[in-house]
Amino acid sequence: MNTAESQVKAVNKPAAKTKTKRKWKRWAIHLFPIPALAIYGLFIVYPILAAFTYSLFDWDGLVRGAFIGLENFQALFSLEPYKELFWNAFQHNIVYFTGQLIAQNGLAFILAFIIYKKIKGAEFFKIAFFMPRLLSIIVVGFLWKLILNPNFGALNVILGKFGLESLQKAWLGDPDTALTAIILVNSWFGLGFAVLIFLAGMQSIPHELIEAATLDGAKGWKMMSKIIIPLMMPAITIITVLTFIQSFEAFELVYAMQGSQGEPYHSTDTLAIYFYRLAFGGSSGGGSSAIGLGSALAVVLFLFISVFTAILLYFMRKKEVEM
Amino acid sequence: MGKITKGWMIGFLAFILILTGCSSDAGSEEGGDSSNEGSGDTVTLQVGSWRTEDTAKYEKLFEAFNEKHPDIKLEFKPSKNTEYNTILNTELKSGEGPDILQLRPYAAGAELADAGYLEPIDDLNGLDTFPESSLMAAQGSDGTQYGVPLNMSTTQMFYNKKIFDELGLEEPQTYEEFIEINETLKKEGYTPLAMGTKEGWLMSLMHGIVGPSQYGANEFVEKIENGETNFVSDEFKASIEAMDELKAYFPDNYEGLGMEDIRTLFFTEKAAMFPLGSWEIEVLKEMNPDLQLDFFMMPSADGKEPTITTWVDGSYAINANSEHKEEAKKFLEWMTTEEFGQMFTEEFSMVSAVPGVQSDNQLVSDLAKAAEQNSTPYLILVHFAKGNPSTKATLETELQGMYLGEQTTEGVAEAVQKSAESYYEPFQK
Repeated sequence: MNTAESQVKAVNKPAAKTKTKRKWKRWAIHLFPIPALAIYGLFIVYPILAAFTYSLFDWDGLVRGAFIGLENFQALFSLEPYKELFWNAFQHNIVYFTGQLIAQNGLAFILAFIIYKKIKGAEFFKIAFFMPRLLSIIVVGFLWKLILNPNFGALNVILGKFGLESLQKAWLGDPDTALTAIILVNSWFGLGFAVLIFLAGMQSIPHELIEAATLDGAKGWKMMSKIIIPLMMPAITIITVLTFIQSFEAFELVYAMQGSQGEPYHSTDTLAIYFYRLAFGGSSGGGSSAIGLGSALAVVLFLFISVFTAILLYFMRKKEVEM
Repeated sequence: MGKITKGWMIGFLAFILILTGCSSDAGSEEGGDSSNEGSGDTVTLQVGSWRTEDTAKYEKLFEAFNEKHPDIKLEFKPSKNTEYNTILNTELKSGEGPDILQLRPYAAGAELADAGYLEPIDDLNGLDTFPESSLMAAQGSDGTQYGVPLNMSTTQMFYNKKIFDELGLEEPQTYEEFIEINETLKKEGYTPLAMGTKEGWLMSLMHGIVGPSQYGANEFVEKIENGETNFVSDEFKASIEAMDELKAYFPDNYEGLGMEDIRTLFFTEKAAMFPLGSWEIEVLKEMNPDLQLDFFMMPSADGKEPTITTWVDGSYAINANSEHKEEAKKFLEWMTTEEFGQMFTEEFSMVSAVPGVQSDNQLVSDLAKAAEQNSTPYLILVHFAKGNPSTKATLETELQGMYLGEQTTEGVAEAVQKSAESYYEPFQK
């Protein structure tokens, strides 16, 4: 910008009139983001601030009561059953993140590498992997609910055809498998996007570098760990951070497949689902809204995600190398 | 460059603050205007509801009302069932919302009333048509009346008459007979009970049907209301144990089955009994017009009267911020008349909250009759849909845990009691 401006100055020897005009132009440019910023302020900044203030008040149903400082936060972490439910959901979020990291990003990296190596039909696979992403996540949820249905779902039917009746299960009704099933569905959904990012990362590595490394005798794992992965760190950073944020905000898929209670027996509960229950009182048969507690949870979630994202970024950026 | 951005940043922030400060006021003015349209003196009232599927039926009712009151027009503005609460709460909070709104029963409705969003209607003509047990579904926690009850929901055991006839089974008169029927059906290769435990609400619903037969129906409810007994009593524990025993008659993989699945089992005639609510009649008939559907009341385990479980499913109330409260009251008054009840039952095939209304649908008529004579309240919904998580949700989750082998029947009862103790006054004495 600075060099551009100086260039403009050099070409346009200023008369007094054009000078003021230009000055105005320079200022006017800053007016253009106003609509976008206003929307941002209204729908993002304002709700965050509102949630923060809500969390500091006592709520009786929908009526705001007295200012109680940090009592809501205290209740969230020390009172039964809030305490148990929080840690239960928090653990699931961590499992969700690690699961996604392995099942979605790990697999995506391998697939991207295979495509990068120019196998036959690379374009086709790129599109095929990306297809699920085009569906609404709610549709994905219902689709997989049908596939995983214990009595007429495709998965159990196929298992039965191969004589594997002993493996048939109520996948979404069994606390041992429900969370894993959901993580895998989410990975199926997100795989294509991760493949694209990884592939773009690989393709941006200059060929000369790879050639030079080959001449120096690097191959196999050495090539991967010393050349390709370090040069791909920006892509890995982006995917990891996005996966982290998405895992800790996991809501839609769980809600579509397991309802607002994180069924069965809270075995698929996540912090976002738990927040929904607190703030809106669950979906069936009322229950009181605990807006104060809900807002407190939202604030905790917001702080946790932003702080942890910052830490994650800091450490991963360190690993990035200049090309 | 840096200085300029800083200046502008401050400017933007100020602008955003002004913008957000204005937003809620601007909203409320808008809401008021919308209902003021229309020519001459005609007033248009907006009616909010969670029954998107009933739009055509409501329009018929509204036309009939419009014939009596040509100056009042009603417009049905439903939103999706699962989002209705959120949408309505947000609207009411900002001073908007429909003039007349469908009120969720009991605690959920009371929450809106206590927040001051609803118009009190204690002096409304015709309210005395309803028994107190119906009226209490639409009251604030101080007992002020805010809504007119619309319909009764009932839960009972539906059964497939064809299967029963084929196996020579009769409606059970005692609880032992009920268990025998289950055994026979199982032996003959039918799934006795179409039931699944993947969705929590199905379990509290089934407990609402089976529970009263074990804990002694209305007598127990009365004792609970007086604080003379509680959920860790033997009676209530017996009701949880009965739920546990019945799992022997559930379909395969019941822990993975939800509403759609068990309904399918029943209307495809693979399962013989279906513990669910009156609202299913229409759906079942649509899915399988040949289904020979009937119901029986739950026989008592200790020789008392059989029971059918009832509650008020919805009421209509007036928005305290409406500009046309008088006109809205006229509609609510009409809702208390037998004429309305009759029309409602015929159009909707549901049990009207207005007592004594007959239906030409035999099943609905029988349900209405049973509900008038042998009703017991849906206890966990009527008194215990409060708290967060609500006692109802606690019962659901814990029963789910019990079916998964992660909770004992004792544990279920204790968790329910603990949840209720935090707010239920009779328990706090």
